[in-house]
Amino acid sequence: MPTRTTTTREAAGPIAWGVATTAALGVLIVAGSRNLAHFDAALVAYTFSVLFATFGLTYRYAMWLKRPPTDFYWRRGWQVFFQRGRRLRHVGGLASHALSDIVLNRFIWARGRLRGLTHLLILWGCGLAVAITFPLVFGWLAFESEHGEPTIYRVVVFGFPTFAFPSDSLVAFILFHGLVWASFLVIAGVMLAMRRRMREEGAAALQSFAEDFLPLVLLFAVSLTGLMLTASYTWMHGYAYDFLAILHAVTVIFTFLWLPFGKFFHIFQRPAQIAVRFYKEVGRDSEPERCARCGHGFTSRMHAEDLIEVERRLGFDYRIDRGAVGGPGATDHYQRICPPCRRALVAAAQGAAWRGVRGGVLVAPGAAPAHVNPGLGEGPLGRADAENFHG
Amino acid sequence: MADPLRSAPRLDGAHPVRSTSLDPDGGDPFGPRPAWSAGVRLDTGVEPDRVVDTHCCFCGQQCGIRLKVKDEQVVGFEPRYDFPFNRGMLCPKGIKRYLQGAHPDRLLTALERDESAPGGFRPVAYERAIERTAAEIRRIQEAHGRDAMAVLSGASLTTEKAYLMGKFAHMALATSNIDYNGRLCMVSAGAGNTKAFGIDRAANPWSDILGAELIWISGANVAECAPITTDYVWQARERGAKVIVVDPRLTPIARTCDLFLPIRPGTDVALFNGVLHLMIENGQVDRDFVERSTVGFDEVARHVAEWTPAKTARTTGIAEAAIRKAADWWGKAKTSFLMHARGIEHSSHGVQNVLGAINIVLASGRIGREFCGYATITGQGNGQGGREHGQKCDQLPGGRKLADPEARAYVAGVWKIAPDELPPPGVDAYEIFRKIERGEIKGLLSLCFNPVVSLPDSDYVRAMLGRLDFYVAIDFFLNETARHADLVLPGSLHEEDEGTVTTAEGRVIKINKAVECPGEARQDWRIVQDLARAIGRERGFTFAGPREIFEELRVASKGGVADYSGISWEKVERQQGVFWPCPADDHTGTPRLFEPGSWNVVARGNGPFYFADGKARFNVATYSPPTEVPDTEYPLILTSGRLISQFLSGTQTRRIGPLLDMDPEPFIELHPHLAEHLGIGDGVWATAETRRGRLTLRARVVATIRPDTIFVPYHWPGRKSVNRLTIAAQDPISKIPEFKACAVRLRAATADEAREAVAIATPSRRPPLPTTGG
Amino acid sequence: MPVPADRHFYIDPARCIGCNACVQACSECDTHKGVSMIQLDFVDRARSTQTVPVVCMHCDQPTCAEVCPADAIKRTEDGVVQTARKARCIACNNCVLACPFGVPKMHDEANLMMKCDMCYDRTSQGLKPMCASVCPSQALFFGTREEIEALRPASRPVDGFRFGAQVVTTRVRMLVPKSFSEPLLAVTAPFESAPEARTASASFDPLLANLYQESES
Repeated sequence: MPTRTTTTREAAGPIAWGVATTAALGVLIVAGSRNLAHFDAALVAYTFSVLFATFGLTYRYAMWLKRPPTDFYWRRGWQVFFQRGRRLRHVGGLASHALSDIVLNRFIWARGRLRGLTHLLILWGCGLAVAITFPLVFGWLAFESEHGEPTIYRVVVFGFPTFAFPSDSLVAFILFHGLVWASFLVIAGVMLAMRRRMREEGAAALQSFAEDFLPLVLLFAVSLTGLMLTASYTWMHGYAYDFLAILHAVTVIFTFLWLPFGKFFHIFQRPAQIAVRFYKEVGRDSEPERCARCGHGFTSRMHAEDLIEVERRLGFDYRIDRGAVGGPGATDHYQRICPPCRRALVAAAQGAAWRGVRGGVLVAPGAAPAHVNPGLGEGPLGRADAENFHG
Repeated sequence: MADPLRSAPRLDGAHPVRSTSLDPDGGDPFGPRPAWSAGVRLDTGVEPDRVVDTHCCFCGQQCGIRLKVKDEQVVGFEPRYDFPFNRGMLCPKGIKRYLQGAHPDRLLTALERDESAPGGFRPVAYERAIERTAAEIRRIQEAHGRDAMAVLSGASLTTEKAYLMGKFAHMALATSNIDYNGRLCMVSAGAGNTKAFGIDRAANPWSDILGAELIWISGANVAECAPITTDYVWQARERGAKVIVVDPRLTPIARTCDLFLPIRPGTDVALFNGVLHLMIENGQVDRDFVERSTVGFDEVARHVAEWTPAKTARTTGIAEAAIRKAADWWGKAKTSFLMHARGIEHSSHGVQNVLGAINIVLASGRIGREFCGYATITGQGNGQGGREHGQKCDQLPGGRKLADPEARAYVAGVWKIAPDELPPPGVDAYEIFRKIERGEIKGLLSLCFNPVVSLPDSDYVRAMLGRLDFYVAIDFFLNETARHADLVLPGSLHEEDEGTVTTAEGRVIKINKAVECPGEARQDWRIVQDLARAIGRERGFTFAGPREIFEELRVASKGGVADYSGISWEKVERQQGVFWPCPADDHTGTPRLFEPGSWNVVARGNGPFYFADGKARFNVATYSPPTEVPDTEYPLILTSGRLISQFLSGTQTRRIGPLLDMDPEPFIELHPHLAEHLGIGDGVWATAETRRGRLTLRARVVATIRPDTIFVPYHWPGRKSVNRLTIAAQDPISKIPEFKACAVRLRAATADEAREAVAIATPSRRPPLPTTGG
Repeated sequence: MPVPADRHFYIDPARCIGCNACVQACSECDTHKGVSMIQLDFVDRARSTQTVPVVCMHCDQPTCAEVCPADAIKRTEDGVVQTARKARCIACNNCVLACPFGVPKMHDEANLMMKCDMCYDRTSQGLKPMCASVCPSQALFFGTREEIEALRPASRPVDGFRFGAQVVTTRVRMLVPKSFSEPLLAVTAPFESAPEARTASASFDPLLANLYQESES
């Protein structure tokens, strides 16, 4: 049975990747800010925390990819994506899946409408904030007043001047308060999420502070301290501004540092879902794996073979020695038996143990089990479930 | 239909709109529309306002259940671990029963027939409906005599309501013609028990199953119709019990039994006689017990002499070796429990079947002791209490006989009327319809009874409803029979009223009110009392609530066989139920009947059984074939029965989505040998025909039924109703209809029949099977 | 609060009557209200009424968790294998296909694997799981070792299963007769023996065997 401890040898690759991406980001910062010409020195703490988070995230991502199941999905994902004859379709698929899953979170809406709304608010709030602050922090984005025209601002992206607008215009108001709008979205989302976590019995049973509450607390703290900054300079003549700035920086930096460790890592894992979609689509169009007991197709041969290999690498041995049946050396694999037949086999084994002890009718092998209750919700949960369990 | 996957459930339960009409009368405002959990019922953050300990509203086992209430709505349940009978166990019906409340089909006002209104009825003010009903009753009784008004009642009512219905008919309407739907359920066992033991109650509490060495189950699909009893059987098996199951179908409990006897429907008495024959032959009769505690054995012994194993085998369709083995086990057992249910009772000689079963129990001497028991498994929720206190056509409270002058005098005294004001005994529920045909009955009041679905030869029943001058129904949903009513009064659901019921064990338990009636609906006892007042016969119908009714019932039953006089609601709650008879305040009840040395009101110390001499009666149990036997024209046997997901005529359970999911449609079950012979494949449309009608349903080809028998579940109405095929033959003593055997022929459906069946079929919501793998 | 260490889930599929009580009660559980996690199958309805109720066996080293690319399945200290973490699950189906007992369900619209978590909302509060509370045949039982010994004198729990060369041990126990001497249940045994031995049990048909046939007399 596998036990996983990370050795230095195993960690070497991920560390190298971490260093590489961090260095790359450093180079981009220097270049994007025109040798730090546009770099705002006040934000240097932010910059370093992002650099550290980049290292952490890359390291963790690379370690994650080393796990056998992740590794095979990673490689297979790219393989099927670039499969000859499907590339065009997959590029289109990439766009539609990204829209549906990442941008709109449709699968989360299917988990619950309030959950969907909650997640979308947080996602878009955070996304907006990141889109504004990161370029500012890296010096990729700057606002410069036009020469001799202090009331006109010009937007500078990667050192290239773009459009300009008056400082008292609506555009200026919306742009300069972008983080305020973002915090509104995040706070609303956090409130909904908190409400759910505080009142629902089901959530209460499974949640933990570090995994489920801390991220919400962090997002709330970042949003609130940010709003306080705005309040301070807008209505309170900068009262306690320096203190608030430090407080805000502390919350933001802690959040960045937390990114690779806690729940936030799912942001970087989630795109794998799109690879899964391609893998399943290709599998659906390819040779099915037929159950060794009932003969029904239940997944793609590709997936079954991949899983056999993954299980082998993990140290599982589900091989069935059929030497007594199919001649010497004939070996089959439990992975080639469909889930309903596995359930039937367990029941048959238990029933056989009772044979002779109490009465009972045993069942011929090879027949296909069927759901007792075909009702949705009580039976299969959807098409995939139906395929897994052939009805 | 739409892709069923489009309506996959959300995890927050916001079910997209599903097919709302599962009925040919599509878009009907009265349904049946299946309800699923939604809104507050799926919200896991809701703290219930209160939880109410009560019982299930369905079968005779009356499992304890705890209902969660939020905003006057039952929103869910919690197992009731403290109730000793089921200790938290429940079947799917009990689990999802909460969905019957706050239901879109619920009747919230009185309704008056109006063919132009949607669904054929328009709302009418409750008071106006009561006035009109009273006027019609007065008119009919003045024009045609008091017996021209009939009452059909039910055994799912609390004992208080059952008592009130009997009193209302016999005293306020003064009509002979009241009967109840226990006529389809309990009467054969009741008559048999009364003949043999002098009392109509399960002889033992279920706890006596646990230590029995041998459990004999005849004609009882325990797993589906009395699911909790399964655990008792299994517990006994853990202690070494053997189980014999007698059934034409290999039901789930039969699957693992030690000996399965696949009997030909309608021949049970032959099997019992054959077993008694072998017991005598093998010298396994308990002569001491027979001598000391019974009479009539010799005559019965002479009668069963002809029931040799070979003849028994030929008659019952069971292999002789299996019969010998069963008799051997039965003969040798030290302790045993024999259970039976509708399988042997739904027969034109149902009483004979029951007497045959009792004969082998008495011959074994294994009764009236721990782990030595006998019981019929009561079907309806209050099948026991509902058959004791006067809503049966020949009965007065306390299990008294309406024809008995002493009983009449006593009850008349309690009701403060003269004995001759009480009408003479009336006729059974089916005969009531024949009286309608003869023009003797012109008006009908029904409550808790859906004869259009539940009576045999239902086309006849439906036609007779059309001949009534006036028909008023009390119900919470518009059931198939109430659709023929002139007026409908909105009654109460189980959880909207309180009272007692008596379980299959004979245990009186307390139903507690969880929520108020919605809209203008009200408790049935209020409606009945409103009617009594409106027809000017208010005296005796001014109870303030079920507790007052129960207090009068205690007095009315005092001194009867079913003596409740020592039972109070407090005692019921304190003891988790009281087994009747309980004749005194300091009496704790009688869980086990017939214990040696026990006293009863009839024998008065002469012996444990309820006859003057205290002895049980052997009764000659005569075999006769079912009224219809297979012939060349109709070569097969049709039998009907229940499914676990549905209850009786389905008025409630066909409106509960998760239950309907389990079995969306009835089906015709047949053996593969027969299927091959007829060329009928699994899942195809097949047509069954009897001399009364024709029914097209999907075939379910399974090796778990006798090859000469087909089975159809009976919970569906209209063109899916097996009772359009069943025969209206009745047992001469109990008047129970012969649901379990009639002659039938089967064939693949014609294209037209299949088309018609598809048109009224419930859309399958099963996701399509994949044609290729993953 | 953890699930008490002395409480265990005991399963006796042979008792099952296929009544659906577990399925219906499961969808009343607060962690996945509205959908059921129990797999209840007819083993072969054409031949028998046998049914099998499957709840998660809560493996000591769960294959489902090991093969999860997203690390979404966690086993808690008290030995309960939790359902997929919603933030992580990418609906790849690995767990569904790898589980030796055939437990997980895939809710594809929600991109989420769902499985039995032993009613963690109840068991962690000292209550019995929904299914084991209601099961009318008590094929599903939840309680202490002492309780099961008192109630089932003929039975003995096993917690080991062999699938081919793989032995899996579980928190949930399965009941076998006292006389059964094997230390674990060999699930794949029918595949390892000759076909004749496999089909021998199929001919046992108590209905036809006990049916009177004219030729007999």
